[in-house]
Amino acid sequence: MEIINGYPDYMRESINEVVKTRQARLKKTFTPMTMDERKQVLDKFHPDYKAEGKRSLAIGPNKGKVTLSEVADLLEAHPIISPKDINLSQIDYDVDVLIIGGGGAGTVAALWASNNGTPVDKILIVTKLRHGDSNSMMAQGGIQAADRPQDSPVKHYLDTYGGGHFSNKPELVRRLVTEAPSIIRWHVTRGVLYDRDENGDFMELSGGGTSRDRLHAAKDYTGMEILRCLRDVSRNRKIPVLEFTSVVELLTDGDRVTGAVLYNMENEQYSIIRARATILATGGFGRLHVQNFATTNHYGATADGLVLAYHVGATLRDMDTAQYHPTGAAYPEQLVGLLITEKVRGMGAQPLNIDGKTFVFPLEPRDVEAAAFIRECYGRKKGMVTSTGMSGIWLDSPMIEILRGEGAIEKNLGAMHRMFQRFGIDMRKDPVLVFPTLHYQNGGVEIDVEALTSVEGLFAGGEVEGGVHGKNRLMGNSLLDYNVFGRAAGISASEYAKKTKPGKLSLKHLEKYEKSLKDAGIKTKRRAPILLPEYRGKEALSRSIDIDKVVYA
Amino acid sequence: MPDKVKTKMIRVHIMGKEHLVPEGLTIMKAMEYAGYRFIRGAGCRAGFCGACGTVYRLKGDYKLYFELACQSAAIDGMSLTQLPFVPANKATYTVRLIKETGNPILKFYPEVARCVSCNTCTKACPQQLEVMDYIQAALKNDIEKAAKLSFDCIQCGLCAIRCPAEIAQYHVGQLARRVYGKFVKKSNQLNKRLNETNKGKFNSELDELMKMDKAAIKQKYTERDLESLAKKK
Amino acid sequence: MKIPYYPGCTLKAQGLGFETSAIASAKAVDIEMMELQRWNCCGTVFSLASDDLMHYIAPIRNFIRVQEAGYDKVVTLCSMCYNTMKRANLLVKNDSEKLKTLNDFMYREEDYKGNVEIVHLLELLRDEIGFETISKKVIRKFNELKVAPYYGCMLTRPKEVGIDDWEEPQIMENLITALGAEVVDDPMRGECCGAYHTVNSKDLVAERTRMIVTSAKNRGADIIVLSCPLCEFNLGTRQKDTIEIYSDFSGIPVLYFTQLMALALGMGKEVCRFDLHYVDPRPLLIEKGIIEEGEEKNAR
Ligand SMILES: Cc1cc2nc3c(=O)[nH]c(=O)nc-3n(C[C@H](O)[C@H](O)[C@H](O)COP(=O)(O)OP(=O)(O)OC[C@H]3O[C@@H](n4cnc5c(N)ncnc54)[C@H](O)[C@@H]3O)c2cc1C
Ligand code: SF4
Ligand code: SF4
Ligand code: FES
Repeated sequence: MEIINGYPDYMRESINEVVKTRQARLKKTFTPMTMDERKQVLDKFHPDYKAEGKRSLAIGPNKGKVTLSEVADLLEAHPIISPKDINLSQIDYDVDVLIIGGGGAGTVAALWASNNGTPVDKILIVTKLRHGDSNSMMAQGGIQAADRPQDSPVKHYLDTYGGGHFSNKPELVRRLVTEAPSIIRWHVTRGVLYDRDENGDFMELSGGGTSRDRLHAAKDYTGMEILRCLRDVSRNRKIPVLEFTSVVELLTDGDRVTGAVLYNMENEQYSIIRARATILATGGFGRLHVQNFATTNHYGATADGLVLAYHVGATLRDMDTAQYHPTGAAYPEQLVGLLITEKVRGMGAQPLNIDGKTFVFPLEPRDVEAAAFIRECYGRKKGMVTSTGMSGIWLDSPMIEILRGEGAIEKNLGAMHRMFQRFGIDMRKDPVLVFPTLHYQNGGVEIDVEALTSVEGLFAGGEVEGGVHGKNRLMGNSLLDYNVFGRAAGISASEYAKKTKPGKLSLKHLEKYEKSLKDAGIKTKRRAPILLPEYRGKEALSRSIDIDKVVYA
Repeated sequence: MPDKVKTKMIRVHIMGKEHLVPEGLTIMKAMEYAGYRFIRGAGCRAGFCGACGTVYRLKGDYKLYFELACQSAAIDGMSLTQLPFVPANKATYTVRLIKETGNPILKFYPEVARCVSCNTCTKACPQQLEVMDYIQAALKNDIEKAAKLSFDCIQCGLCAIRCPAEIAQYHVGQLARRVYGKFVKKSNQLNKRLNETNKGKFNSELDELMKMDKAAIKQKYTERDLESLAKKK
Repeated sequence: MKIPYYPGCTLKAQGLGFETSAIASAKAVDIEMMELQRWNCCGTVFSLASDDLMHYIAPIRNFIRVQEAGYDKVVTLCSMCYNTMKRANLLVKNDSEKLKTLNDFMYREEDYKGNVEIVHLLELLRDEIGFETISKKVIRKFNELKVAPYYGCMLTRPKEVGIDDWEEPQIMENLITALGAEVVDDPMRGECCGAYHTVNSKDLVAERTRMIVTSAKNRGADIIVLSCPLCEFNLGTRQKDTIEIYSDFSGIPVLYFTQLMALALGMGKEVCRFDLHYVDPRPLLIEKGIIEEGEEKNAR
């Protein structure tokens, strides 16, 4: 097998087809689907719409609600600690505001708790890996905020609500869109370097499902640029962070959350924290590999927050859907599953099948776009199949250089370019191969407009919470989400902490949980939260998706 | 469709110990295949967090190579170790109070003046950044250049561990970028929109949307005009 | 003529007026100074022991940049950079083994072949343009302004490096005369300003400053001119500390020779940045009728 500029000859044949059709495609685009067409492709080809992938929960506040099996497995599992093993009489940390998770939402919450008057030494961020190791660091494409004159929060609202299949909580969407411009302002005053034009206005792009160009980006390192800047602010302010420490269980006084059990990932010791208010900011669940899909998520995205919250009786919502990003890398093998930002399509690259033909509007909402890719690969057998058996769609990245001028890729998509370059592929000259990858937890712990969960003393912000995006999130709305609701959670928790006294600490809820497992007849060895995925040995090899089942269910 | 090729096994030496792993894995996955479970040394697994800095040598080659374990393939005969942590002091500052005159970066990181331009940092950077050039830019008070050249830095620290002048380059870059943020032109559009939202300009329209029944709002949603389409036409 | 120009770090932070006045007045006498696209700190002279090769990397890398740009000559302004680069250049020109070691170390760059010359702007003015030509372009009258040139250590020592006779240099004197000002003969012109001691021993520097500035002043100088941002800092800005220690001390303005030249050639307000000097020269220049009151307002 001869490899020419990163691609084996059998792939080159198909690339030649892509090149042939390019000129004609530059001026044409595929028409967007009607609502009916969307429904058809989703029903038949989206992994979420496959009945075997979900089940009805047997216990807890969401009993009877249809939930993704991988999540249900964790909720219908034993806690990893048992009350008798934990000594609650010695309190190791005593704080006003405990923040679980040092990603975007956690960092924002800490800063705003501090802005709201909680002393920094009474705030504590506990995080599984290093401060900043999180999905927030990885976001590439951008963050939405309607600040252009031809745009408005009203349009942003409609896009978000429709994109979420009208299942979002309207009051959350409203807060999301109206606070967006103030978030951007906050960022730039702290030194976040968004891409701008010569007038100082932002260079904005469209994302899937948005009716206006609204994405604010910092090259394709948007998430990193925002978070490293906010983390720097937090470090200057000396907000305490416990790294390589996970929360493995919340503590309650029976009614309200009063603290947590911490687990030091390195020396495997437990410690106890008492907190007047607690914020869940643990992010998403990509590392559960729902339906065996590869994922874009960071190493610690294991749905711990859902488990912790469910153990203390918090309600979840929209846990029957997962977001598959249409464009995960499908080649080379080492990159499989990693994100190719939507910005690549936003800047003009079209998705194409093995014959170099267009088959879908490039910027449908994510679920629709992903389903259309799966249909092309498995329904119509028009994907490019690689030697590992992976089927993929071409993303014609060289179009970007033609449409936006030479150098546009290096300037705006440096991370993408670098990623492929490392494996000998030049995306300025050749298209890249993509396939949907597990990307985002649409639903989560239900919150109200002040970021309070259904349990007193427990607040939530970011990917762990549900309601903001309904059953499908639009690109650029989750960075916004972690800022808006991270801030809301920080302020609410700080306020709540001012008004309350520290509570009693107990793990009684675990006894109740065990009982409900027993009552429901669940016999299992599963334990949760899982903290980190298991990748040793054969698990390190890339997983093959049992796609036929997905498709023809 | 091509035939499935049987994977070849290759030898990698992880901190001196030899392991056989299938060809075509990243260094990170090769380590996992060999039985290591990461607590440190893995974060994003996608080249964005800098948790997985790795140093290696190849057989018969004196050179040291620097890579991200999650973003580069394991090579037959490589001998590697991870450097998942770099001790480095971050200066404490309030960007709002920093003045542009003089050299604000030298004030917080005076060691920048010790740079001997050896370029070792550049050679170590897995992001292929011109690290020396951004440090040199900081030294000569060219904050814009320091900010721009360091922009793609994922703060892995490999440069800092190699620097004979003991500079923590990535902290310097972070400060440069934040200071540079003070000098960029403000967005009028954003200011205007903030004024409008503060005055509650969109409240009544939003109220209306929230009151609409599902059918009506669906209708409204389908009738949106798409800017991305308008541009194509 | 066109020539690549190496600014050095201090010019970009403290010596802003030095650079702008130099580029403008060079241009007025047909020298186009083009800043090198990439350059690094010269490394500064204090680290140059001939066996400490590490510290030669920086200056040699700058010569590679000139070579890359396709030139064999580079001009600089700061005496310190000039001295460092010239010394490093001499070392590798005379020792091919050391040059090879350095080239091997910098394997990512093209090899330095040892063919680039570094010159100070003063040399260019003297040797390529000629002071006579310059004097013909003088527009502004200096009205008997008395100027004491100050060389410090770096322009003239060691002998192989110096831009003029190391005991009796005349290059600045000749320039000042050509510009139409009066030269003040001052024996302290080659004394060290205290250099980097300024960081840790302000007192030591204050003493040097008092000695050097007072000497010039006692000989009737209205201003001192020099060619190094560090000397300017020590003799100029440090006058503040000097007054604190020696209550009888009183200072005079300290300028770069290029500012004097820019003034003479009819420029001033746009390029001189007089506002950056601790002792503001503008009142004196107005008093002498060299610049006008209104002009002074704009002369930032
Ligand atoms: C590759 C990628 C690209 C993306 N691109 C975009 C984009 O362009 N635009 C956009 O809007 N969104 C994007 N997203 C989504 C967005 O980045 C995330 O949804 C958002 O950042 C989530 O923020 P968060 O703070 O809620 O969670 P995270 O940032 O993931 O933070 C959660 C933190 O909690 C820690 N944690 C988890 N469990 C525990 C525990 N038990 N104890 C202690 N700590 C714990 C985690 O380790 C992590 O540090 C992208 C996501 C990915 C993965
Ligand atoms: S390694 Fe250190 S001394 Fe060498 S060039 Fe880089 S910053 Fe300068
Ligand atoms: S500049 Fe340094 S810290 Fe940043 S990516 Fe390069 S080696 Fe890592
Ligand atoms: S694990 Fe984040 S860069 Fe490799």
